Amino acid sequence: MYYSSESVEELIEQLCRLPTIGRKSAQRLAAHVLKMPRSDVKQLAEALVAVKDRVRACRICKNVTDADTCALCLSTRRDHGLVCVVEESSDVVALERTGEYNGVYHVLGGAVSPVDGIGPDDLTFGDLVNRVAPDPKNPEAPKIREVIVAVNPTVEGDVTAHYLREFLAPYVSVTRVAHGLPIGADLSFADEATLARALAGRRPL
Amino acid sequence: MKIHWLRMQSFRAHTDTRLEFAPKLNLIYGPNGAGKTNILEAVHYLCLTKGFLTNTDLHALQKNAPFFQLTGAFGGTRRRAVEIRLTFDRRRRKQIFSNGARIERRADLVGMLPVVAFAPSDIAITAGAPTERRRFVNNILSQERPAYLTTLLRYRRVLSQRNRMLDQARRKRETPDAAMLDSWNASLVNLGSLLIKARSRFLADFAGFVTKAYQLLNAVTEEPAMTYKCAIAPPDAVDSQDQLHDLFHERLASRAQREQKVGRTLVGPHLDDIHLSIDGLALRDYGSQGQHRTFGIAIKLAQYQYLNSRLEESPILLLDDVFDSLDAKRARAILALLQSDELGQTLITAAEKQAISRFVPFAFEEHRCIQIRDGAEAANGQ
Ligand SMILES: [Zn+2]
Repeated sequence: MYYSSESVEELIEQLCRLPTIGRKSAQRLAAHVLKMPRSDVKQLAEALVAVKDRVRACRICKNVTDADTCALCLSTRRDHGLVCVVEESSDVVALERTGEYNGVYHVLGGAVSPVDGIGPDDLTFGDLVNRVAPDPKNPEAPKIREVIVAVNPTVEGDVTAHYLREFLAPYVSVTRVAHGLPIGADLSFADEATLARALAGRRPL
Repeated sequence: MKIHWLRMQSFRAHTDTRLEFAPKLNLIYGPNGAGKTNILEAVHYLCLTKGFLTNTDLHALQKNAPFFQLTGAFGGTRRRAVEIRLTFDRRRRKQIFSNGARIERRADLVGMLPVVAFAPSDIAITAGAPTERRRFVNNILSQERPAYLTTLLRYRRVLSQRNRMLDQARRKRETPDAAMLDSWNASLVNLGSLLIKARSRFLADFAGFVTKAYQLLNAVTEEPAMTYKCAIAPPDAVDSQDQLHDLFHERLASRAQREQKVGRTLVGPHLDDIHLSIDGLALRDYGSQGQHRTFGIAIKLAQYQYLNSRLEESPILLLDDVFDSLDAKRARAILALLQSDELGQTLITAAEKQAISRFVPFAFEEHRCIQIRDGAEAANGQ
């Protein structure tokens, strides 16, 4: 079924390009947008553009932020000696929801995957090593004691974790969250209780 | 496990066919090309997410149809009834639903609906390349233990990633990043060792089933053997995980240069073979045609008996055209199984109804004859 309006077709095409949105869902969303007041549609469009214009990676942890440094990295209530390494910003949200974690984060931006052309250089891996390795010019800088690797328990996550350990182990203790998570599951889909348990049961990597 | 009914849409010879099955024996007969084998293949698809004929799903899709859809209602003695639906479209997307809920991972379905298929193509297990024998072992272990299939799929993922990495380095005439290769090796060894251990244990247990089935088929006292051949470790080294890991790593190290040159993985259980012999002589080199056939049927019978003994549910047995190609003695051995009480539901195809109805009493309640003509059930099948 095709719409008689090219603009509607274009909107459906664009929505289809988003992950998890099939043609049917795109049609439903487009029909909804048609019914929305113009002001609401404008807000949505502006939010989409603003995300690209304003949001950037935190100077320290590479999580998404509107400022130079994110709120988590600036917080004085958090333990800055404990760093949890995740693949995506959405994983930070999932871990924060548990309320069990009081350290800071590092967002890698994915996992190593030769098939997709993603090597360590395509991730924020170097930034993490620099963050963890002692800085000879600034020996007074706060030290990181432990890195918790909380990448997804996929084949690519496992290899990324192993690779991280090779580089980080000389400087800090490296642990991995226990695999209470179903194999192949995404961190951001796990429920809070499972995540909290996985975090508590971390093991040396 | 039993299948109560099956619907096939745009699947091979069947544009839209719905069939009901009896709880015991179902004889599906009709001329060649009418679509009898397709029925067994459809059941196989629903149980194991793939057919037993060819690996290309696209061949099963009717010309001009956007997708094929298979639906079947299954029930067991202990499990609740379950309706499985499988669709495959032109974008090569396969989707499986259990009672309407999407099944994300193959390992969540495989093993739930056990099935064993006998087909003329089984000859490849004894006569074909090592990959055929690995496929045979993988099939049984995946149905017995979902964790095996999960490990196998993860291993294959590691393999394709590691191959891509080696190939990328080869094309750029570089040596692969050592730390990165170490990391892939760790996963390859972890997962590969689990497969080696599982296969080794399985073949030790399976040997007894093969011997028993072989003797049932053959009056002559010959001793068949089926032994695991793994280039990484001798059989006695498999039980210690540390030793197996060490041997695996050593083998990787010794093949590292060669791997870089060819740009793919040359060490691992994806290169395993299973050695078949009779009275100590390799079947491939010394076996007569008769011994090949007897061995081929024996390991399939053993597959059925093994799964039947290990699983809560009797597997559904699919016999595709086996009676047309068997001599009387071997046919009788299979018929003896068909007449035994331990057999679950069975679907048999044959060109002629008489080929089987002579041997098997068709009771109205438990058995059924289905006549197939031009991709549909003929009106007066009974
Ligand atoms: Zn930050």
